[in-house]
Amino acid sequence: MFLENAFEFLAGLSTTQLIAYFWPFFLLDMARYLFLDFIVILLYVPKRILQQAKYNHAKKQLYKERPLVSVIVPGKNEGKHIPRLSESLSYQSYKNIEIIIVDDGSDDDTAIICRELEKQGKIDRFIRNEIRGGKASAANTAFNFSRGKYIVHIDADSHLEVDAIETILLPFYMNDRVGAVGGDVRVANNDSTFATRLQSIEYIKSISTGRTIASELGILRIIAGAHGAFRRDVLQRLHGWDIGPGLDGDITLKIRKLGFQVVHEPMAICYTNVPETFRKLSKQRFRWDRSMIRFRIRKHRDILLPSAGFSLPNFLASAENIFFNLVLDVKWWIYVVQMLMINPSLLGYIFIINYILYFLANVLEFIMACVLLHSSMRRKDYVLFLFMPLIPFYTGIFLRIVRTYAYMMEFIHGASYNDKWNPWKVSRIAKKEKL
Amino acid sequence: MSSLDNKNKGNHTNDATDYLNEHEEISVKRHPYLIKSENASLALDGVKTISKEEIDKKVSDEVAFWLIDMHNWQQGWNTLCEIRRNLSPKIYLKPVLFVIDSSYIPDEIANASDGNISLSNCNSLLLEEWVSRVHHINQWIANLHLDSADTNIAFKVLRIITSRQTELEPITTIRRHSGYVYPILEPLFSKRDTGVLDTLSFLESQHLLSTRFISRAHFCSHCGSAFLNFKETCTQCGADDVHSDELVHHFKCAYTAEMEQFRKGDRLSCPKCERELKHIGVDYDKPSIIYNCNQCNHSFQDPKIMTECYNCGRQSEPENQEHRTIYAYTVSAIGRNAADHGLDTLFSNILETELNLFSETAFRDFFRIELSRINRYKVSNSTFVLIHFGDIEKLYIKLGNQASNIFHALSNIFKSVLRHSDVISAKNETLFLVIMTETSLEQSQIACDRLKKEINDLFKNNLEFQPQINILTKAFTGGLELDSLLEEFLDDVS
Repeated sequence: MFLENAFEFLAGLSTTQLIAYFWPFFLLDMARYLFLDFIVILLYVPKRILQQAKYNHAKKQLYKERPLVSVIVPGKNEGKHIPRLSESLSYQSYKNIEIIIVDDGSDDDTAIICRELEKQGKIDRFIRNEIRGGKASAANTAFNFSRGKYIVHIDADSHLEVDAIETILLPFYMNDRVGAVGGDVRVANNDSTFATRLQSIEYIKSISTGRTIASELGILRIIAGAHGAFRRDVLQRLHGWDIGPGLDGDITLKIRKLGFQVVHEPMAICYTNVPETFRKLSKQRFRWDRSMIRFRIRKHRDILLPSAGFSLPNFLASAENIFFNLVLDVKWWIYVVQMLMINPSLLGYIFIINYILYFLANVLEFIMACVLLHSSMRRKDYVLFLFMPLIPFYTGIFLRIVRTYAYMMEFIHGASYNDKWNPWKVSRIAKKEKL
Repeated sequence: MSSLDNKNKGNHTNDATDYLNEHEEISVKRHPYLIKSENASLALDGVKTISKEEIDKKVSDEVAFWLIDMHNWQQGWNTLCEIRRNLSPKIYLKPVLFVIDSSYIPDEIANASDGNISLSNCNSLLLEEWVSRVHHINQWIANLHLDSADTNIAFKVLRIITSRQTELEPITTIRRHSGYVYPILEPLFSKRDTGVLDTLSFLESQHLLSTRFISRAHFCSHCGSAFLNFKETCTQCGADDVHSDELVHHFKCAYTAEMEQFRKGDRLSCPKCERELKHIGVDYDKPSIIYNCNQCNHSFQDPKIMTECYNCGRQSEPENQEHRTIYAYTVSAIGRNAADHGLDTLFSNILETELNLFSETAFRDFFRIELSRINRYKVSNSTFVLIHFGDIEKLYIKLGNQASNIFHALSNIFKSVLRHSDVISAKNETLFLVIMTETSLEQSQIACDRLKKEINDLFKNNLEFQPQINILTKAFTGGLELDSLLEEFLDDVS
């Protein structure tokens, strides 16, 4: 009955009324995330097929040169994941790799496990920092002792597809202006809990598809710490990573500022473990979302301002992110107020119609992702389709509330400077220096 | 020089004083005798001089101590060695003092005497004082009833330690491979180094000496040298051409690298952000140390530690070298009794003579053969027996030189209970190992009960003393293991 009334209400709307009632969807989200994505995918899929010869040539070049690749894995208390990671690396199709693990002041058995693996020759170098310095310092330690022409940064709780390293290196051989390549990150524990299933859909949509599209548009703004490849000379110019949280997004922008291209390679696949509870997930996102304010609005504000080094793609990469995530986050609160002012009795209909619109949009996005990634999709990935009806609640309500809270806390309190993710001594300096 | 002058090596322990009191005071006026050196230049007022050749003849109790001129310390050392290597206890046990002038004497030599007198301070009063200081040693020697030659080096060591009634402490030296020396024992041994350590270790294993921990030290497992070079080597190529550097983490920019990269003259400057590093813990810290190999360029944190012997040049991991405990030694009650009355009074020696004790090595062979025989044929039973006397030291203290009588009686009990076909060995004075061949567990327990009863009766009737006897019996079956049985048994009885 309620649904029938809702559809009657929808059918009775003129086009102008339709847009007036549902402008966030039709004017913004559908335009950006459905039409634009659809057009780009439509162009990208045949382009990828046509570029196969170019990929093959790049692969030949790679094996001809056979450069040393340093796989660096910084982390704290990650020892339990390292045996599996080193095993997955031993199966890589590209063999000329060195594995460097940096223990950032672990207080568990990480050192014992890694020293043993080092003795067995399963990892090439294990460096233990007795005092925790934070992720960036651990990554820089690893970089300092690496020798490879390319540096692949991965998280300890990840494992790679057998051809991941080979594939992530190919863009470097296809375009010498590429300074860094983001690998695709999929959810390893996607059938563990309800939370991991929803995250799995989100990763397929926003990382696998979203970053491929951003890369195609030349506005990719982040190379995930879980799986990213960098040219040594580029990292040397930057002297490695700066203080986090959000150091992966930060270094991506710094590489862009140097004039290098950053691209996403959806076929270089890394599986990572995501938080299994909504509580842990909200903590993780609270940290990620704050970095948008800290790095894009504060640290890299210069990208948005006219200057001698102004670059439109860099501007768009940052502006798009700020507009669609930060500015449009406000739109929902405006929208809710607007609807309450127009006619509060219609709120129920408007909510259900919005839900259906976003559900359909998500289904279409998922279908586009399946088209893009079909060769690398697992059977259990298709099963996720059953959870699609919940995605509007997950992204539209849960993630939005976390994001809004994170932005507010960062704007008002600079909460990221008090995050225990960094040691206190580092956060204190970062806050003082306004880093 | 003055420190040597006033050195008093005669300070003895309370135990030793009690022990002395047990001995009869023999009142003889004793005098120092100066042993003529080869150039015979030294003469001391009022001190009789004799030549080395006359020492043998001068074994009378009149000698308080020998004085040796150490102007030429090598010659003096040779004289001391000749005295200590003499087989007569009346000679080798006699106190020896060095007369020293300003010439250099190595520490282990200077400490090998019973005391040192500075030539410049030498006068009759000082000599008199020394006569009284070494009186207790001479008194102990005078009480010895044995005139036979002491041919056993271990016995000589035991008597030297007992007669001095002090704790025997080692000193470190670079002039011996062993790194540690027990100076007073050195002149007894013609072959130095491990001979001393092995002898002390043997005496301790026989419960004749008690130990006090001094240190743990590594020795070359090949030549016994204590001079080992502990080297940090590369985990990849094994080279010892490695250098270490501290890692520095600059908080502001997260740059982390070796200290070398931050050094700019006498300042530290970050290569990434060019800020000066001022206060450790405030703007930077040092999270770890990194080693770099200059040969193969490998960097690592846990260098492989290797040892190289300075003497024989062998290289080995530290865990493969001999790791010995160095002790200070004092004489136990058993040791005092043995030093007084000879090793023949020891229980194990009496049993060895009367029961034909097998050596431990031979016993182990018998044990192995018996176990294989029983396991293979499965037609007969044999039993392994461990007998432990818990408070045998009290017995020695209580019995003194009468101990041998009671031990003879004890060995008769052993003889009456055990059979000729049984295999007996002694681990030391307190622990005896027996293989009762063709004897079931029950039969062996009956025999052990009899042994216990008869021993208890012996002590009860003669001494009103109840010895603590622990016995373990185990049938020879399956994988009986001698060492683990011994370990468990000793754990239980202790």
